[in-house]
Amino acid sequence: MSGKENLEDIKYLRMSFNERIQHFLLFSSFIVLILTGFGLKFPEAFWVKWIVFIIGENAFEARGIVHRIAAIVMIAASVYHVYYILFVPRGKQLLKDFLPRKQDLLDFKDSILYLIGKSDIKPKLGRFSYIEKMEYWAVVWGTVIMSATGFILWFENTFLKIVGTEGMEVSTVIHYYEAILASLAILVWHFYFIFVNPDVYPMNKAWIKGTLTKEQMEHEHPLELEEILKAELEEINKKNDITENEAELNNEEAASVKEAETDLKKEESAEIEANKPDLNENKN
Amino acid sequence: MEVKGKKISLYVNPEGYKKSVHNVAECEDCHENYNPDELPHSKNPVEVNCISCHKESKDIETNVHAKVKCYDCHTKHDVKPAKEFAKEQTKTCLSCHKNQNIQHYSQSIHAKNNVTCESCHGGGHKVKNISKGEIALTCGKCHGDHEKNFRNSIHMTVMKEGNKNAPTCTDCHGSHKIIRGKISVESESCLKCHLDETKFPGDEKGSARFVAHYKTSIHAAVEKEGLLEAAGCVDCHGNHMVQEPDNPKASTNRARLMETCGKCHKETVEHFKKSKHGQELAKGNDKAPTCTDCHGEHDIQSTLLSNDFSKINLTDKCLSCHKDGKIPHKNFKGEEELITGYEKSVHYTALKDGNFDAPTCYQCHGAHEMESADNPASLIHKKNIAKTCGQSGCHTQQLGEFTGSIHETGVNKDNKDAPTCNNCHGNHGIVTKNIDNKLEKAKDLVNLCSNCHASVELIERNELPTLVAETYNESFHGLAIRGGGKEAANCESCHSHHNVRPSTDSLSTISKNNLPKTCGNCHPGATEVLFTKKIHITNPEEDSPATFWITRIYMFMIFGLISFMLMHNILDLRRKLQHRKLLKKTGNSSGKNESK
Repeated sequence: MSGKENLEDIKYLRMSFNERIQHFLLFSSFIVLILTGFGLKFPEAFWVKWIVFIIGENAFEARGIVHRIAAIVMIAASVYHVYYILFVPRGKQLLKDFLPRKQDLLDFKDSILYLIGKSDIKPKLGRFSYIEKMEYWAVVWGTVIMSATGFILWFENTFLKIVGTEGMEVSTVIHYYEAILASLAILVWHFYFIFVNPDVYPMNKAWIKGTLTKEQMEHEHPLELEEILKAELEEINKKNDITENEAELNNEEAASVKEAETDLKKEESAEIEANKPDLNENKN
Repeated sequence: MEVKGKKISLYVNPEGYKKSVHNVAECEDCHENYNPDELPHSKNPVEVNCISCHKESKDIETNVHAKVKCYDCHTKHDVKPAKEFAKEQTKTCLSCHKNQNIQHYSQSIHAKNNVTCESCHGGGHKVKNISKGEIALTCGKCHGDHEKNFRNSIHMTVMKEGNKNAPTCTDCHGSHKIIRGKISVESESCLKCHLDETKFPGDEKGSARFVAHYKTSIHAAVEKEGLLEAAGCVDCHGNHMVQEPDNPKASTNRARLMETCGKCHKETVEHFKKSKHGQELAKGNDKAPTCTDCHGEHDIQSTLLSNDFSKINLTDKCLSCHKDGKIPHKNFKGEEELITGYEKSVHYTALKDGNFDAPTCYQCHGAHEMESADNPASLIHKKNIAKTCGQSGCHTQQLGEFTGSIHETGVNKDNKDAPTCNNCHGNHGIVTKNIDNKLEKAKDLVNLCSNCHASVELIERNELPTLVAETYNESFHGLAIRGGGKEAANCESCHSHHNVRPSTDSLSTISKNNLPKTCGNCHPGATEVLFTKKIHITNPEEDSPATFWITRIYMFMIFGLISFMLMHNILDLRRKLQHRKLLKKTGNSSGKNESK
């Protein structure tokens, strides 16, 4: 049994089925909203013309209806998500892990230093890196903003009386720029880490399969992995204490865990060593 | 006594003889070789030689009366004195000249006015036949003016050329009867020759067939009803000075037709003279149309009855010149295409569908008063177009709406940029575009208004509000129309179409008081709308600071965040690729794949 096989065989749960459904609802409605939204703003764009051509005469009216349906789907998913992170145990943990901490700032600083080559040590990132936390809270922020302005524009006859024409104009402007910001962020930031990132290229399949391989865990979430392994070890130790027979059975498993740990360490040292000549070269 | 079996009396009434002018003469003075004592007198007739005494009458021996004996006219014994004879001369002539034609003389105007035989045929004993060539001269002795005119006529010209059919005075008026009535002259004289196909063969102008069309004309028709005012041949062609139309002096010459027709159709011709057609004609433009070009020549018809002048066919008449660039337009290239565009217009379509209220050429341009648009009196002068389109029975309601609008005000101030009816609706090719397709209509309308309201030049020159088209196109209304929304507002939804007024005008649909109603047409309950900002934001910083600053902040955020993300990505990618390269290099010694 080779080490590589081990690394690929061991899967770590990244997204539960429930979370994947949430993610699916979010991204599908998001895409539809983008198409139907920018379709309004840029009616002469070639892709808009294609869509209009395919859908036919009532494309404009259909566009409006589909945009609202997608908005409802997204808001419903968001509302469920709020329930999920407040009342479901796994969700509660999710919220806890997503909360920004001081460590995130340090990680960010170290990470930048590492990326620009000032440091050779890649910071160990936990379950959610500063990148993912930023993305998460950006989605939260964006959803709130887009829903609020969207509703104002949706029920314009009601809101005209409340916010006046100026309010309508402000809502329109915010809705538009927030859409651009969100789309670009997803395109540049999210898609990079899911598709382009060499560690997961051509795609991180976690949003489909729900799991990460050990290798991916080592790259992206080493701290989480360590914690998981620690927890596993503790559990094994506990079990060892309980029954020696069972421990025997678990020996193999424990060995593999140790093996993985040593691998990890080796790799780190190799990485540090590997970066040294690079630095030297740079200096030269 | 008996002569050749007839009993004749040789009795001479002494009473009569004594009264005669010869009462002093003895019998033998005349009757030579007569022996008074020989009884009875010699049976042989004795020649009486009057000439031996009346030497002045010797001429008679050589003229047409050479064989007429003196006594045939003067009688034998009761010869009257010359003065008395002259009084009854005509009777005397007619007593021999029993020809019906000559007999008519006694009823003629000449007879009544003491124009005797002698007046024409020469008096005393110089009687003569008048040859055709001399007739005009003879008549001219009294009718000098007419003769002069006749000498200039085509009839005289062809006579000189040797045409034996050429008429002279008597051919039209008769020799002794003397016809004066216009109708009789025409029917008995003009038409007698000019309807004769042997004299005027063919189908061309001047031919008998061509002249025959006159019978179908309104002029001929009116005449039949007994209205003598109707034009006959001479009314148009002149009486004595009939000339060919090519002759510039002819009354039927193109350039002079206005005068000729104007003798009767005075008012119409006055209008026509002022028209573009009339002016060009007066200038000598031989392409300019004159009366006959439209109305025809001999076959002239009442415009009410003529098929050619029916509302639907008049187009063809006008287009017979106004198409294919035959008449180049000063200002508009391809103007003739615009004119032919009438055939596709809603006006023409309505006509064809049987709506005879729909206008054809003359209703907008005037018939005889047709003038070019740059003439201030023209029906289609910029200032008059609205009135023309809004004439009673046509677009009166629209005219009412347009009156007082900012566009109309501009037009009245002689602003050439200000639009009137045709600037938006088109000239000839007025088309109702896809009336069922609201979207196409809206798009067209936006484009139409944009022609001026998005033109930098026009906006500057007239100090129009700027950026109205741009801001509309970026607004939800504009985006919806661009994207194919059928119900979204276009320019006219808010500004109305004819009654466009500035927002400061209390009658404007976009004045502060009227805005709730205007917006309320689409947005029910918009009566309480708070109009907190200008609709067309031309200067965001002033007109809507909130949107201005939000835009600024977002631009900053988008630019900052996305460039940060991109940088982060690039660095991350670079670092990760570096790492991989190194792992490969050191793969054998420290690579994880091979270990264990």
